[in-house]
This record gives sequence, structure tokens and C-alpha cells, in this order.
Amino acid sequence: MIRMIVHRLLIGVFVMWGAASLIFLVVRAAPGDPATVLLGPDATRSQLDQLHASLGLDRPLGAQYLSYLGDVCRLDFGESHWLGRPAMGAVLDRLPATIDLTVTATVIAVIVGLTLGMLAGARPGGLLDRVVSACTIALQSFPTFWIGIMLVLVFALTLRLLPSSGVGSPQHLVLPAVTLSFPFVAIIARLTRTSLAETMRESYIQTARSKGLTERQVLFGHALRNSLIPVVTVVGVQVGALVGGAVIVENVFAWPGLGSLVVEAVANRDYTVVQGATLLIAGIVVVLNLMADLLVAQLDPRIRTGAV
Amino acid sequence: MTSTREHGRSRLIRLATTAAAGAALLAACTTTGGEDGGGSSASGDVTVAGTYPIESLDPHGAQGASTGTQLAAQEIFSRLVKPAADGTPEGDLATSWKAGKDVTSWTFTLRSGVTFSDGSALDADDVIASFQRMIALNGPNAGNFPGDTMTKVSATEVVLHSPAPDASVPGKLGTFYVLPSGVGKDDTAFFNHPVGSGPFTVDAFTPSQSLVLVPNTKYQGTKPTLSKVTVRNIPELASRMTALRTGEVDVAWGIPDDQLASLKSQQDLTVKTVPSSAEFTMWFNSSIPALKDAKVRRAIWQAVDFGTIVGKLYPDTGKAADAPVTSVVLGHAAQPAVTYDPAAAKAALTAAGFDFSKKLRLQFANDEFKPFVQAVVSDLQKVGVQVEPLEKEQAVFTEDLLALKWDINFQQLATPSYDAASNLGRLYTCAARRMGYCNKQLDGLLAAAGATADKQRRTDLYARASRIIWQDAVGMYPMSVSIAYAWNSDLKGFVPDASGLPDFATVRTGGS
Repeated sequence: MIRMIVHRLLIGVFVMWGAASLIFLVVRAAPGDPATVLLGPDATRSQLDQLHASLGLDRPLGAQYLSYLGDVCRLDFGESHWLGRPAMGAVLDRLPATIDLTVTATVIAVIVGLTLGMLAGARPGGLLDRVVSACTIALQSFPTFWIGIMLVLVFALTLRLLPSSGVGSPQHLVLPAVTLSFPFVAIIARLTRTSLAETMRESYIQTARSKGLTERQVLFGHALRNSLIPVVTVVGVQVGALVGGAVIVENVFAWPGLGSLVVEAVANRDYTVVQGATLLIAGIVVVLNLMADLLVAQLDPRIRTGAV
Repeated sequence: MTSTREHGRSRLIRLATTAAAGAALLAACTTTGGEDGGGSSASGDVTVAGTYPIESLDPHGAQGASTGTQLAAQEIFSRLVKPAADGTPEGDLATSWKAGKDVTSWTFTLRSGVTFSDGSALDADDVIASFQRMIALNGPNAGNFPGDTMTKVSATEVVLHSPAPDASVPGKLGTFYVLPSGVGKDDTAFFNHPVGSGPFTVDAFTPSQSLVLVPNTKYQGTKPTLSKVTVRNIPELASRMTALRTGEVDVAWGIPDDQLASLKSQQDLTVKTVPSSAEFTMWFNSSIPALKDAKVRRAIWQAVDFGTIVGKLYPDTGKAADAPVTSVVLGHAAQPAVTYDPAAAKAALTAAGFDFSKKLRLQFANDEFKPFVQAVVSDLQKVGVQVEPLEKEQAVFTEDLLALKWDINFQQLATPSYDAASNLGRLYTCAARRMGYCNKQLDGLLAAAGATADKQRRTDLYARASRIIWQDAVGMYPMSVSIAYAWNSDLKGFVPDASGLPDFATVRTGGS
């Protein structure tokens, strides 16, 4: 187990270096000069040169890369000239809102998705299975912005039950979290359903039934644990994607999360913020995947003991 | 069988009870007025849906020219001169100002007895330190004053010196804010709770999220009657409109035409549009062979039915433009309308030897202008002029704009100083190389207009310059833009601003 953790951590370090290098190159490869964006079209040549020097963009790319890697190792992500403050400070300011949104959406998705998946997978082909399958396909098909706007129309504009946008109270979290969770619910439900249906056909399930166990005992005691292995892996990956990928939901609900910060930073060619945010998101994804791996190992003794 | 059915029924009842309890709980714990939303109340709180985020409160820094920072800065700090709601310059800290003989210097007399919100006195030293800080930070506003310096004559008098005659100084000073001397370059602590001499002070600020303002008890002018102004960033238009309709916010602006009808039908909202300094401007790249000839440029202008396009797309916020700058800008002079005549346009293009096989690149930067650009492309297609619309990201657009990597350039061009010097005088000279057009006579007129403080003479010179720009079709000028505002009818004293920077110092609510 310890060997597995060390192995995963080493891979994580490699992933972080890869992400740091890739984002360094990608932001600089994109057309558009940060100094021109910052100073506007009326800036003089000398103003632009001065800012290029101040941003360190007048040095060769290799030198920029090496000093960037050195700074990252010292956890110095530089100053955002666009925002006028440390880049990582701006990123970390947005992190609590992102965590609130992501965790709430994940909890909703896991509870609802697992429940629906279990209901459908316990009796494959049954009425409930067909209804759940249709609903999950619909949930996955609707664009997130459309779902968000519909929820706002019903719960904020018509019923006046919830605020339409912003932050500040738990009520503000309800609509964005539910909107963000919808496609995630569908993924978990479909995956749980498929995995559970397959498990229910396994011979050890037949054995459990022949021993006289009730369907509930078979489901919760034998089938569910094994069915959850792919679900846990996918949840780990999906949560990572939600951390930086909730831009549309953040825009619709004026939710000040990381996703919208990254989009603004890319548009403004704010290299330090893009780099800082990307590395933070990469770090979160690495940690979540490690946690998912540990959980899977906990569920499957063969992985724990290195049998597979 | 019966027991299974009864079991199912009881489960259904349990489920329904749980759902009902959940809904009741949700209803019980929710109100639409959260901590930062909730609209005007008897206590005089007002919530504003900002059109752009406020990333920083430093008016001298990188964000100094952004709409969000300008909106905040005008409430927190004072300026020497500020534009009134209609754009005309009026004194803020300055009681009077006068140009030197050759217009290379401007003397400003400061109001006496002005204090900052911490009670300290504001004097000429603060004004000069602020000017030097703005120049040293090299932000976008510093670019308005290349080579300019400021000196002190007395505690209540300062002089701004320019290396060349500059009649537009009072207008340009609308973006210069006075801070207490001693504020550092990146003084985060100061800008978290800035000290200013404007009508409000900062109660709380979360960058790009919200700004909460409370009245400055030391304010020199009429103190605000509102107890709190909250500026919320709601980037998505649909969300801003919903928040306005639900009463979560009291004021919103920059509202597109297709939303205005439904807002007007809402009894508790007041809707108004005001002419702004912004104009749809479509420059031709006169440096390319296809568009070098003014006859070709004029014919292309004549081939587009701008009247119909503007009428259909912008019935409330658009008006046919009659000059290269709008009527609220000093130097505006109405020009004869360009009549839509596709047959004459086609004949003129043919006579001028226009190459109909060449595809012109029309660049623009914002998705909201796509329908307009597509309509223009469609009209030009009818006379055989092929145009490829190119929507570009802002950073790429700006870079290509300066590099003249376009044939027709579409921009909504504003004149924030309300002075033609910072539009015509800045953009249309040979040296500016903004659209590949160079006319020595025009250069002379623009230089002369920038070198005199005589308002009438400046207006006359800009009128002659405008005529050349219009007749030579340096660009097409299809539409003057109005800004649409909607606000809670309970608010009194709200004045829609021509720059999209409304002032809340004079606003009051029923309870304030």
C-alpha cells in the first residue's frame, strides 16, 4: 500500500511538472501581447518596452522558463500586473467559492446518482430502470447554461424562493450547485446502474441468493461494494474537472469561482494568474485521484495487496 | 400481493412527506434578499448590478481605465475636474482652471477646506503626489499625459505642464484621481480600505465580486443620504436582468434593446436611454490598394443600408450618426447624411476599377456585434463586394488593429474625455497610423484645434476636420450609441450617466 502511495505521488510530481511546462508554453504561444492588453492600444513603444521588461517578457524564452520553474519550486507564482496583486493570492481568494460549489454539487450528485443507479441497476430492464435511463440521458443532454436559466426562471423569477445569483448565504448556493450537479448525477447514475447490473449477474451473487439472503442483503452486502469501484474512479476524475470547469455555471449565477478567473486571465493574457490557477487545479486533481485510488484500494483488496 | 402494494403505498407516502418537508424547509430558510442582494429598503440600501467587474480600487494602476475601477473611484476619490452627467467638464477639487498662453500649461485653483475621509487635509501636495504616482505606475491612464509634469504654486494652486499644446487637458483629467500623498505602488492595505475625499468610503471590497460603500462623513459636498451602496458583479446579462426583475438589484445599465420592452412593462421599474460618447466606427484600411481611393470607400459606405440595420437591431439605443464623434463630444459637427443607394454604389465601384474578386477582412472583437456585422456583410454582398467577418479575441483584435491586419475594422469607439482631441486628434493623424490614412491638411487642423483653448475656435476647427474625415470616408460612421438604464422606481434623484458611470451620491430611497 505504501509503495502504491509513493508510486502515485511520484507520478503526481511528474504530472505537476508537465502541467507547469505545458501551461507556460501554451499561454505564450497564444497570439496577443499582455503589455498591449494591459496598456491599451494608445500605449507608446517606450511604455510597452518598459512593461515587457517589468513582466520579464524581454528575456529569451528559455531563461523565462527556468526562472519560472525556480519560482514555482519556491511557491512564488509572481505578481499579476492585471490585478495588481500576487497571482496566487487572487487564485486562492476564489478557491473557497469553488470548493463550496464543487463539494455541494458532488454531494448532491453522489447521493442522487447512486440512489438512481442502484434503483435502476437492481432490476435491469424493469420499469424503474427504463425511467431512470431516460431521465439520465435527458440530464446529460441538456446544456448546463439552459438548465441554469430554467432553474432561475422557476425558482427565482416565478416562485421567488431562491436568489437568482451571487453569494453570501447558503440559499445562494442551491441553484448553482444543483445546476452543476445535473450532468454529474447522470454520469454517476448510469455508471452505477451498468456496474451494478453486471455485478448482479456474477456467480457469487447467485451463491449469495442461494444461501437464502434477501435481495437487500445481496445488494448492500455483496453487490454494491464491488459495483462502486469504477464509480469512485470516475467521481475522482469528475470532481477534478468541476474545480476549474464550472465557468458557465459561474457566469450564469455570478459565482466568483476559479473557472471564471482563469477565463478572464486568459482573455487578459495574465500569464501569472493562468499559471498559478492551472497548477493549483492540477494539484487538486492529483490529490483527488490519489484519494480515489486509495478508496478503490480500500474497496478492492486485490489492489491493496498488489494482486492486480 | 396486498402487502406488497400496501408497502409500496406507504413508501410513496413517506417519499411524498419527505419531499413536502424538504420543500417547506427550503421555503422557510430562503428569502430572495441575501446578504448582498435585496434591493432598496427603508434603510436606504441600494444594490447595483455592475456591468464590469471591479478588480482593483487603485485608479492609477493597471485597472485604472477599466469601467469597474472608474465607477468605484469616482465615488471614493475626488478629481480636479470631472464630467457632468451630460459630459461637460465641471470642477470637483478645482474651483477654476485656466490655460496658459500657448496652452502648454494649465493652472488649477483648488477648493479650500477639503479633507480626506480620515480627517486629514487635502492640498496641492496630495494632488502632485497623486499625479506623479499615476505617471510612475505607467498604467493606461498615464498614457493620456505623455511627458506631462505637475508643479505646485501654492497650497491651493497647481500647474500641469505639457511638452506640446494640449487643449484637452480638462477633459482628460476626468480619469485622474487624488489620493493622499505617500500611497505606495502596491499598497494593498490602503486599497482594502482606501482613504479618499469622494462622497463614499469603502465598507467592504471583494475584488471582482462586490464593493460595499457607505457615506463619507467628511465629504465636502452634499453628503449622500443612502446608508449603503452595494455594487455586485453579475457578468451574465440574463442574470442581471433577472436580478433586476426580482428586486435583488435596484439599478442596471448597458441593457440591450431586446430586453427593454419587457423591462418597460414592469411597473416598478423606470427605463431610460441617454446619448453617450460611443459611436459605431468602421475604419477602412486606406493603406491597401483596394481601399486607397476615397471614391471606393464612399461607394462601399453608400452600399450599406445602415438606416434599416440600426432601426431593426438598435431601435432604442441606436441613432444614425452624423459625424465621426457623437453630439455629446466637444467638436461635434453634423455632416450630410450618406444616402443608401446600392445601384450608385455599384456603378461608382465599377468606375473606380474596384476588384470585386478581392475578399475584404472585417475584424471585430465582441460577439454582441455579430448581427450588425453580418447585416453589413450581407448588404455589401448584394453589390458584389465580398467581405469576410472575422471575430477576434480582444487581445488578438488589439494587436491586429495596431498592425493594420484588417481591411475594415469595426469598433464601438467612445470618447471618455468628451473632447474630440482624444478621438479625432489622437487617432486620425498621419503619425498615429491607425487606419493607414494620412492627410496633411487634416493633421494641420487637428494640431491647431489641440493648440487653442478657445472653445468656439476648437469647435470650428474640428468641424472642418470632421468634414474631411466624412467626405474622404476614412471610415463608415453608422450609429451613435445610447446607454439604456433601468432602475427601481423607488429610487429618487438617479441620473443616468452618458459614460455608463452613474453617481450614487445624490440618489435617495423612500426611507433614506
